[in-house]
Amino acid sequence: MSRLASTGLAFFVFSAMVAALYAVFLYAPTEGQMGLVQRIFYFHVSSAICSLVAFSLVFLASIQYLRRREERWDRLAVASAELGVIFALIVLITGPLWARPIWGVFWRWEPRLTFMLITFLMYVAYLMVRAYAAGSVEQTRRFAAVLGIVAFVNVPLVHFSVNLWSADQQLHPQKVELAPEMVVARYVSLVAVGSLFLFLLKRRMELELASQTLNRIRQELDGERGDDGP
Amino acid sequence: MIKGVVAILWKDLRVEWRSRERLGPMVVFVFLIILVFNFSFELGGSALHEIGPGVLWSAFVFAGLFGLNHTFATELDNNCLDALMLAPVSHSSLYLAKMLGNLLFLLVVELLSLPFFCLFFNLSPGLYLVPLVAVLTLGASCLASVGTLFAAMSSNSRLREFLLPLLVLPMIYPALIWAVKATAIVFEHSRPSTTGAFWPGSLTEPVSFLLVYSIVFTTLALMLFDQVLED
Repeated sequence: MSRLASTGLAFFVFSAMVAALYAVFLYAPTEGQMGLVQRIFYFHVSSAICSLVAFSLVFLASIQYLRRREERWDRLAVASAELGVIFALIVLITGPLWARPIWGVFWRWEPRLTFMLITFLMYVAYLMVRAYAAGSVEQTRRFAAVLGIVAFVNVPLVHFSVNLWSADQQLHPQKVELAPEMVVARYVSLVAVGSLFLFLLKRRMELELASQTLNRIRQELDGERGDDGP
Repeated sequence: MIKGVVAILWKDLRVEWRSRERLGPMVVFVFLIILVFNFSFELGGSALHEIGPGVLWSAFVFAGLFGLNHTFATELDNNCLDALMLAPVSHSSLYLAKMLGNLLFLLVVELLSLPFFCLFFNLSPGLYLVPLVAVLTLGASCLASVGTLFAAMSSNSRLREFLLPLLVLPMIYPALIWAVKATAIVFEHSRPSTTGAFWPGSLTEPVSFLLVYSIVFTTLALMLFDQVLED
């Protein structure tokens, strides 16, 4: 069943991606002022939404893990943290590509850029904690969960700070008026990127389950060998 | 609870008094970092008001990280941490004691290094510097609240000293933004033209943000510290 669902989801992601490519590059009109490069917007915004959803999932899964101590919540946390970082990276790469011809610079210390960068770095630290922990597996999960909560609580503070810190140079538009075709393209690409996110999340959680199972079998084998020893 | 906090804090202060492992190196470190900035940016005089507060806080943050690393690292020898956890005090008291200790060390370092900062950057001392004490205390408590929690986590990592900055720095950026802003406001008042109010009105906003930040993270750390130490 799970395998069938996976394959089904994969087909859906594929067709949604094709539909998104069509909508973004052929269906949506070229923006008057910015030209072709504006088409990066559809993937840029969708990825930003996905990364923030992923970080919220890390937060919820971390709370649940500390409350219930069930491995599945930890699997959800690690999978969403990795995906959140990847999607944030996509945002941070597509952003400057778009900014260079429009703003004239790759990077500006503008509120939203700064916010995304700091948030991205906090979750990179989260992955570092998981990667370089020295204690037991259980301890690593607890530490990660604590960080998953603390980092997410910090997100609104970062947002608030950088907004006021460089309020004089808001370059991101506060409100966007889009042509109807652009709205369609926007939602189609959101569905495509969102379903890609869900698909990768599912696969990453399955991978984590497999590696946890493998570790458990290894430990059991080591234990048996220990019993047989002198 | 309070008795336990005081006992652990007193123990740490006595250890520091006898070993002098933290304060001395931290003050020298702040001094050296201020010189690093001086030589890399040709500071002094005119540029002070623009980047002086940033230089000061960068030095404090780096020296703070140095001190934070010591928080639990010293307890690892002879399994002192296990003994502390066996002691009849709650884990929250342990956190609070360690956090207050870090806050105290940071404050002492800040106050000791401020005179030579003023000296090198030709900042004339005066009453206008008094609100700076509030800014320094709150900034230090932001760093201590987050740093103590993460120090407990990183002391158990393969990267040890290296992991702590990776954790603390991204988390501390909002507080850093406001601490630098508040310090800049205080320094601006050193100019003779802006005489008047003892507490500049524009200082209230950054200071209250720092207060919120340190309250939020101290509370959060108190709630979560059990999970970090549990074994």
